[in-house]
Amino acid sequence: MNRTDVIVAGAGMAGLLAALAAARNGRTVKLITEGVGSLAISGGCIDLLGYVGGKAVEHPWQALDSLEAGHPYRILGRDRVHAALAAFEELTAAAGYPYTAPADGRNRRIPTIMGTLKPSWLCSPAGHAEALASARRVLVLGVEGFKDCHPAVVVRQLKRYPEMAGKEFTSAMIRLPERQRRRTLSPLDVARFLDTDAGRAWMERELTPHGGRYDVVLLPPICGTHADDGARQVLSRALACPVLEMLSIPPGVGGLRLREMLCGELARLGVTLVENATVSRAEVTNGRCTALVTTAPDAERRHEATEFILATGGVLGGGIATEPGRARERICAIPIEMPEDPEQWSTPELFAQHAITSMGVRVDAQLRPVGPDGAVLLRNVRFAGRTLGGYDFGLEKSGFGVAIATGWTAGSLA
Amino acid sequence: MKLRLNPDACIACTSCVVQCPVAEATPEFLGPRMVGPAAQRFRLMGSGEDESLHYCANCKNCDISCPHGVLISTFNMMARAEQARKGPFSLRDWMLSHGAFLARALGLLPAALRNFGMLNPASRWALDRLGVSAQAPLPRFAARTFRRQLRTFAQPDASRSVVFFPGCYVDIYDPQTGLDIVWLLNRAGYRVIVPDAFDCCGLPMIANGFWEDARRNAARNAEELAGWRRKGVEVITACPSCALMFKNDLPEYFPELADSMEGAAPTDAQEFVLRLVDNGELPLPATGAPLDIIYHAPCHLRAQGLGLPGLELLQSLPGVRATNANAGCCGISGSYGFKKEKYHIAQRIGQRLFTAVRQSKAPVAASECGTCRVQIEHGSGKQCLHPLTILRRRMEA
Repeated sequence: MNRTDVIVAGAGMAGLLAALAAARNGRTVKLITEGVGSLAISGGCIDLLGYVGGKAVEHPWQALDSLEAGHPYRILGRDRVHAALAAFEELTAAAGYPYTAPADGRNRRIPTIMGTLKPSWLCSPAGHAEALASARRVLVLGVEGFKDCHPAVVVRQLKRYPEMAGKEFTSAMIRLPERQRRRTLSPLDVARFLDTDAGRAWMERELTPHGGRYDVVLLPPICGTHADDGARQVLSRALACPVLEMLSIPPGVGGLRLREMLCGELARLGVTLVENATVSRAEVTNGRCTALVTTAPDAERRHEATEFILATGGVLGGGIATEPGRARERICAIPIEMPEDPEQWSTPELFAQHAITSMGVRVDAQLRPVGPDGAVLLRNVRFAGRTLGGYDFGLEKSGFGVAIATGWTAGSLA
Repeated sequence: MKLRLNPDACIACTSCVVQCPVAEATPEFLGPRMVGPAAQRFRLMGSGEDESLHYCANCKNCDISCPHGVLISTFNMMARAEQARKGPFSLRDWMLSHGAFLARALGLLPAALRNFGMLNPASRWALDRLGVSAQAPLPRFAARTFRRQLRTFAQPDASRSVVFFPGCYVDIYDPQTGLDIVWLLNRAGYRVIVPDAFDCCGLPMIANGFWEDARRNAARNAEELAGWRRKGVEVITACPSCALMFKNDLPEYFPELADSMEGAAPTDAQEFVLRLVDNGELPLPATGAPLDIIYHAPCHLRAQGLGLPGLELLQSLPGVRATNANAGCCGISGSYGFKKEKYHIAQRIGQRLFTAVRQSKAPVAASECGTCRVQIEHGSGKQCLHPLTILRRRMEA
């Protein structure tokens, strides 16, 4: 009934941004999703480019040119990557939860709950690691009962970094009000407690004794679950210094805030959502997709549109199917070139380049799939995010950067 | 039907943990990942049951959020059945999950007497002692059930037929919604058949651990559904939970019955009506007075992977501005929110939705699920109608 212009499959960062870009262009958009997408469990910081060839990148925009020609950033070109990230900054600012880039053009180095520093780019105020770089007196706070964040360990690990030399570190623990609980406490639980007035009042009381004694305070991601920065600001005032959140293992809370904001935007723009649906195949006539077919236990359903964006993830997300010696994009059955010998798909060294972690669909400058000869395979289908080949987000620390750049571009072109 | 009951398909990503409304509302619930696939490994080894299993509301948000198709709620419901088999009998749970039987048993009494019997302060006190919260919004029995009213409802002659599975809520408490749907289908040229053989879909029994009762109902219903399938008559239902039971749950719980059902699960009535509109069989009015509607998508509808055809219908009505509340689960989950120890959890879960409905300028809310509507009216104070009721009213206006 309601004519659909654009169908997006996948509700991770790439899919959400593609749907947003298309909807903001006045297109009627339907978003089909199987799960909730990994954004919901991530830390929510937008990495641009953290490492190239195993070396840490200081200036990511300068390092973009050193990437290989098949990398999604190179395929899009610097201007379009820049435009997409700028659009993201604008969007988040308009929604009242601004993500910003570091002013000096250098990667932020964000502390994690393991006491490592992770290079990242666009962050909400909770990730403005500049405050740590310039601080002398640093307090690392933990919450009693957290299995995965121990401030003393964080301090010991952080001290290994030369850039932390000369800083005075203190670690401390705070305690939740006595409550019987059946499950192990997680940052998500405390973040939800800090969504409430009672939670904020408790935290303020706990933190006030530390007020004015430090230049920056590092916390696990507990400052609320909504994209309003409210809890963090309350704590910053109580401590009279900036409060930063360390990046955590899932659930990372930061991604939940960002997802809530993006989904709110999609609802506001009237994007139709089809949840819990698996896109099983595409109907193709004369090099154009006419419909995506979803499979539910009771029936198959056809979803027609004029343009399609597939952002269904890699092997783990279900966008790429593998069998010994062969890999293909799952919905359109586009073959992905891989060595015939599965032994060659990975190398024994875990943190090295593996064929399997960078395999994916090859695309033209409009993100349409191309064959080995460079010919466009489907004229109205675009790919975004991890389904694309030519990059390794884990090694490079470029995951959300590529997702936003390709998702936004695909949505704008559709 | 390929079963996906493999706990090791879970990669412990925590997607379900962040989406579970019950885990958000109470720290007493270990959460879907732990109680579902993680505990399943221990169950397979014969170890004991986690004591927070009873908190699972079977709302399906874990299944909706899972990126790997792990049937988390199915693990929970199967474990609950096992627990109920071994544990003491709960009269409260039996009453809450056998509404159709009770209604038939009480059916000899006039509705006013039944309502007085169930809803007077002394009865509510007694029910509360039994474990049905005195604060919970127990729905009122209708004066005459939907089935009885349909018998005297004059349907116009029509060449085509469609079978309607009313579900207990429409039949016992909300016959008007059923009659509205019959009116719409008549208007599109269909005669509506409501077979007596249909019984409760069994979902409330599953949710309360009465596995064998659910199987009995499933078997009876499956046979009837398959019969209509063989006759080539489509079966539809307007209740998302009944539909979910037939489409998703029944094949997982009772695979052998699903085979005999031959894929004859009822079609979503909203999807069916949308198709009638698309085909030109049910022309929508050309104009209409301005009306704002705030729509709530029931979790059991979202779990079916068919989108939101009810919302789409509302949005295609001239003059209507229908917005998705987009505010999560309402909390009621069938019988869950009526239970004394769950009532406050259910209210906490629904808070976001209640606020969204209250703050909306829309004078009326809409949702397909009967108990969602009860909960929304209870929590927000605004009237909540089935989308097809609104459609009928707009067409009659």
